[in-house]
Amino acid sequence: MAGASHPGAMAPPIPGPTRTAPPRKPASWPSHPRMRVYTLFGLTGIVYLVLGFLCLRIVWALGQGEAAWDTTMASMSNPFYIAFHWVSLLSVIFVGVRFFRLFPKAQPARIGPLKPPPRSLILVMLYCVWIGVTALFVAILMGGLFR
Amino acid sequence: MSDSTKKFVITRFDPDKDEEVRTQTYEIPVQSDWKVLDAINFIKDEIDGTLSHRWSCRMAVCGSCGMMVDGEPKLTCKTALASYGDTVRIEPLANFPTVRDLVVEMDGFMDKFKSVKPWIIRAKEQAAEEGTYRQTPDELQAFKQFSMCINCMLCYSACPVVANEPEFLGPAAIALGHRYNMDSRDEGAAERNEVFRGEGTVFSCSYANECSEVCPKNVDPAAAVNQAKFNAVVDWTTQLVLPRGEE
Repeated sequence: MAGASHPGAMAPPIPGPTRTAPPRKPASWPSHPRMRVYTLFGLTGIVYLVLGFLCLRIVWALGQGEAAWDTTMASMSNPFYIAFHWVSLLSVIFVGVRFFRLFPKAQPARIGPLKPPPRSLILVMLYCVWIGVTALFVAILMGGLFR
Repeated sequence: MSDSTKKFVITRFDPDKDEEVRTQTYEIPVQSDWKVLDAINFIKDEIDGTLSHRWSCRMAVCGSCGMMVDGEPKLTCKTALASYGDTVRIEPLANFPTVRDLVVEMDGFMDKFKSVKPWIIRAKEQAAEEGTYRQTPDELQAFKQFSMCINCMLCYSACPVVANEPEFLGPAAIALGHRYNMDSRDEGAAERNEVFRGEGTVFSCSYANECSEVCPKNVDPAAAVNQAKFNAVVDWTTQLVLPRGEE
């Protein structure tokens, strides 16, 4: 029967930590479809930042009086603003759909004795709330609720 | 009997000779039912014995044979070769230092695992004569999915946060910690949640969901990370209202 192995039998020939090649990021990332979607998701942050500044500008105009408000509203018919609003709408829909897709599985398995409803039901509830809130805002903006 | 031939562009690195990684191309006969690992083993056995790679079970259980196949982290024993073109690029897992050829350094990964205390913590151990800790099927179901992880590290290779913040605890370690937090036999959630609330842990996750996309065992680490975020906040709030030892 063979004897016990030497305690240093598996030690590297040169003592010390093994020299390694540095970690590399996946070369395919920028072109990978999933990474493109994720990058696009990150880029929507810029749209929201600009949208925030635009809201501040509108609120500021409101505080400056009727003339400033009318001028600001008139400037909104500029094709640049119309295009920006379309981009904003698409961004909100894109982020909303992505968020709704990922939200159900992020729910805690239970809170005390309560368990979350099935994922499909959470999804239906989210879309219903989204449609409901959108309808409410449209009604307010169209003057249907407050005159 | 071979069906056709394919080219394999494989990353090579010899720490005793190479300054940096290089690639070597092999053209070999392949069979239509081969997995990617079969081709790498063929190269190792028949063409170039110096090629180093890890593998063991060949049935997607041991988690040893994870590599980048055409830029995507894959378990090579589970990935059909037929789904790739005439040229296949094989690299070591991304985001890990390379020890040699396709073998990556796992020390950092193992340290991250240990930091989440992946064992059952009890305030007081039950005496053996009191029997085993019992669990209902419902209680088992709460964490079973997260216990299916085989530590293949594909999720670390896919994670954009790991790529940019190497100190990030990462999907598999968080999923494992969460698995024990969800275990009805465990009483160590407060300790692990303290780890989870630290720098570079659950709140560093930007929910790219890449970890779940590449997971070969459908563990869904992204779900675990985001559930762990909620639990860490609840635990922090509870501590604020009811400090430990004063309830």
